[in-house]
Amino acid sequence: MKRLLRVALCLLLACYAGQSVWAGTETLVVGVSSDIHTLDPGVSSDNYDWRQIYPCYDRLVRYKVMDGKGSTEVEPSAAESWEVSPDGLIWTFRIREGITFADGTKLDAEAVRFSLQRTLDIGKGPADNIGAIDVMRVIDPMTLEITLKNPYGPFLQTLATNGASIINPKIMQHAKDNDLAQAWLAGNMDGSGPFRMVEWLRGQRFVLEANKDYWGGAPALDRVIIRFMPESADRRMALERGDIDIAENVLIDQIPALEQNPEISVERHASQLVEYVYINTQKDKLKDKQVRQALSYAVDYQGIIDFVLQGNGVQMRGPVPLGMWGHKPDVFQYTRDVDKAKALLKDAGAEGLELTLIYSERRPSWEQIATIMQANFAQIGVKLNLQLLANPTLRDQVDKGDFELCLGAWSPDFADPYMFMNFWFDSGLWGLPGNRSFYQNEQVDALIREAAAKADVAERTRLYHQAQDVIMEDAPYIFLYQVQTIVPLHKNVHGYVFNPMLESMYNFESITKN
Amino acid sequence: MKLPGRFLMTLLLYVLRRLAYMAPVLLGVTVLAFLISHAIPGDPAQLIAGPKASRETVENIRRTHGLDQPLPAQYWRFLHGLSQGDLGVSIRSHRPVLEDIRDYLPATLELTLASLLLCLGLGIPLGILAAVKRNTVVDHLTRVFSVIGVSTPVFWLGLMLLLVFYRHLGWLPGSGRLDVTMAAPLRITGMYTVDALLAGDWQALRNAASHLLLPAFCLSYVYLAIITRIVRSSMIAVLGQDYIVTARANGLSEARVVLKHAFKNSLIPTVTIVGLSFGELMGGAILTETIFSWPGMGKYVVDSVNYLDFPAIMGFTLMVSLAYVCVNLAVDVLYAAINPTIRY
Amino acid sequence: MLTLRILSRNPSAAAGGGILAVMVCMALLAGVLAPYEPVEINLSERLQGPGADHWFGTDEMGRDIFSRIMYGARISLRIGFFVVAIAGGLGALIGATAGYLGGWVDNLMMRVMDVIISFPSLVLAMALAAAMGPSLNNAILAVAFVMIPKFARMVRGEALAVREMPFVLASRVAGAGHAWIILRHILPNCLNSVIVLATLTLGDAILIAASLSFIGLGAQPPMPEWGAMISVGRKFLMDQWWYATFPGLFILFTVVGFNILGDALRDVLDPRIRR
Repeated sequence: MKRLLRVALCLLLACYAGQSVWAGTETLVVGVSSDIHTLDPGVSSDNYDWRQIYPCYDRLVRYKVMDGKGSTEVEPSAAESWEVSPDGLIWTFRIREGITFADGTKLDAEAVRFSLQRTLDIGKGPADNIGAIDVMRVIDPMTLEITLKNPYGPFLQTLATNGASIINPKIMQHAKDNDLAQAWLAGNMDGSGPFRMVEWLRGQRFVLEANKDYWGGAPALDRVIIRFMPESADRRMALERGDIDIAENVLIDQIPALEQNPEISVERHASQLVEYVYINTQKDKLKDKQVRQALSYAVDYQGIIDFVLQGNGVQMRGPVPLGMWGHKPDVFQYTRDVDKAKALLKDAGAEGLELTLIYSERRPSWEQIATIMQANFAQIGVKLNLQLLANPTLRDQVDKGDFELCLGAWSPDFADPYMFMNFWFDSGLWGLPGNRSFYQNEQVDALIREAAAKADVAERTRLYHQAQDVIMEDAPYIFLYQVQTIVPLHKNVHGYVFNPMLESMYNFESITKN
Repeated sequence: MKLPGRFLMTLLLYVLRRLAYMAPVLLGVTVLAFLISHAIPGDPAQLIAGPKASRETVENIRRTHGLDQPLPAQYWRFLHGLSQGDLGVSIRSHRPVLEDIRDYLPATLELTLASLLLCLGLGIPLGILAAVKRNTVVDHLTRVFSVIGVSTPVFWLGLMLLLVFYRHLGWLPGSGRLDVTMAAPLRITGMYTVDALLAGDWQALRNAASHLLLPAFCLSYVYLAIITRIVRSSMIAVLGQDYIVTARANGLSEARVVLKHAFKNSLIPTVTIVGLSFGELMGGAILTETIFSWPGMGKYVVDSVNYLDFPAIMGFTLMVSLAYVCVNLAVDVLYAAINPTIRY
Repeated sequence: MLTLRILSRNPSAAAGGGILAVMVCMALLAGVLAPYEPVEINLSERLQGPGADHWFGTDEMGRDIFSRIMYGARISLRIGFFVVAIAGGLGALIGATAGYLGGWVDNLMMRVMDVIISFPSLVLAMALAAAMGPSLNNAILAVAFVMIPKFARMVRGEALAVREMPFVLASRVAGAGHAWIILRHILPNCLNSVIVLATLTLGDAILIAASLSFIGLGAQPPMPEWGAMISVGRKFLMDQWWYATFPGLFILFTVVGFNILGDALRDVLDPRIRR
């Protein structure tokens, strides 16, 4: 009987449910490759999570858009203005008036302090990004003073990262067992951003709705649906059929077909995402820099770019990618030279070398690159074994230094060469934290540490350039290429801005559809 | 069917004995799952911490999730939680595993039930047909159909179905449970087709069903083949029995003989196979869900293994094994109900 | 010999045997017959459709798919035989011991088998392969492990019957040890059923191993394993249909071969086993 009643009730509700279909120019549909894990800005260190989180919160600063292009410079957002002490240690932020959370709570200095402190206290991935903060003090309701542990060049940039999102302090009412409301925030959001969360059907879709009262102006779109479609072919077909408006991570081999479709435009943007090979510099023959140089000479960079990337990328020149300040356009670059590689191996007494390259399925290009490298190395007399590992196993081996060669990808979290130079080469960061070639060079250590503690960009550039010359000679990594991010979208979608710092994230608030 | 009281008593005792049996087996399953998943090299804390995390951060995460404790202690904690009906918190989604299962299970249930329905709905008539038309072209065709069925890699069949019905003909959707712009029907069971039916939402029903068709067929084909074979061979055995001959001699129509008398008796082996195939159906579901991007338990567990999400792996295996032993128990009981001459 | 003669007269056994003979020839003669090297990269010919130069087209590295499939037959057959040999051997030993000894040994062993059986097999194989590290040999071990209970259960049932036979009782009275009786009397008497089950299982073994490779846990590149080829071919399914289609067809043929041969063997050797 009870069940019958329930069914009857549902039937009744169904009559009222009304329109069950979302469509039209107010709704943007994005087809993406993977589901997300958590919505907590203080926990997530995954760009795919940030795609949903970022538009729902404000941060003190944001990236500037110049001439319709995303830049790596920041401008005021929830902070109206700021001052910094001459020694670069004390930052004073003036918070913008008139920003409120959904429940009407005011976004003030205390909310900012609470949010940053919460991220630091949780101590997960995002805490590392804003780890320069020592203490915070609320001077008056709209003024916050932040003192740093030591001068830190990229500090302002780190405030634009997802982990620095400003959360409504009222979430603490959901806290359980001292978890700082982590359990609740994993599946909910409470921010002041241009969008709000409506629905998250796990494995299926995520729906965002415009915040019509947003202080920066109401977004043009009413609704954004993010649809999880793990198969690239599927996203491509859905885009062609008009089921989705933007398709993310479409495999390069499927791009030419999309380009022939008159309704679709394929945008290419220079990204800061690089792919490279870690050479474990602490392992046997690989300790010898001549051997590492030989390997760097063996790789057919242009072949990889032409065939694996179908031309959608450029060979890296030094560790700092093109488009980031600190890039050194005239630094030495390895190109394929089989004879030279053989000669180097001979000098080093490392003929008949056998090495193993590990990689995972994280990037679709890796299997092809590995196979090409296997053929390339064979030509200089190095036998390369390939090993495809599960992601956790791979990372564990990298962290322990239990590998010889490994394929990797890296993209910066904030716009500063620190993300490359200090993470990759500081001998204090061996293993997963960043220095995955277990590289150690005292001169380089001194140069990059000095550069990190300075604020002056010209001076820092000089130091980083100097370090790069040493590094290229030492060849601790095989620097493969810098990829282009390819974004296929429908021609009726306008205003999409790509920002290399916000990989896989979208400026939904300024996108329109007609 | 009227069952005598004494029979019910024995049956009850039998069920109780079997339940007592189940406990150590299920415990064994959790031990095995725990040992193997922890034998996979890797550290989930490194994965949650993100690609650039410092060592202190990783250490901190390890502590919060109790991953720094010795293995026996971790297993004990799992058992302790289990005794209170708590499967622990997923490392990946940061929420109770039971909630995750509640979200993903209905999709898998819908898929497996639909394929079971296809299996029985197509397999039984085909099997009967093959038995009745024994050694004719029809019989041979059925045989070819079923040999191919048990020999086809599920994942490849899925790809071929996608190629034909999605890519080239464009008749059916290629992924997901609903069109993207379609609102999900009000949750009652979590199975979209059922919910849409209950709500009388025909549009959603049609849409959900069209999404379900390809994966359900892909998953069912192997079992369809097996069931066709089983029904055929047991029908042939039954059709030669004395009572069938008698029934025929009594002037019953052929259709009546086949459907009423023979078919009923061929049900027993069919039921057995359904029970035995359950475990493999789960395995097939994992592959099918991967191919058709079906957001169910199969995809959930593959992601969990890839992420070393121990609580999720444990929760999943426990659920599936529990379902397996229960289904088999139910099959045995059903057995007894269909054929009361079986005694335990 | 009698068996062989009966088998050759059975048309489906002949068909199954014929298919397998072709596969074995392909595997053995791949080095002679294959038009290209299976791992030879030719980037300028990537993703060519089937044609006169490449019967089954080329893959994303410009390798000839037909040649890769021929070499792949070696891998798949090897997987099948090793899996069945390991699982059949261990399973028979466990089953014979349990069935012969009975009592708590039987109880314990069969409960362990129950645990393995009630574990979702693909997940078990997946986790095992991940734990041991992905390689072809480990995949073989993982699949074999999952299949042990199948053999153990069947042999145990037979052993229960055999142990009551007069000749077993006689040797026990004569003072023979348990191990000797199991190896000399119990196992040989179960051989027929083991052979039948092994043939029928070979197909399954190839299927599960291909599934493991499909999810990236089996053969390592550039090995032309069929399941792994389908796994990569899936990325190209929408535009390059041939890539995933042909390796799958060959898995299908091989498994069909084993299944119909196994069915026929069962009819001849051991009418008691019914699926």
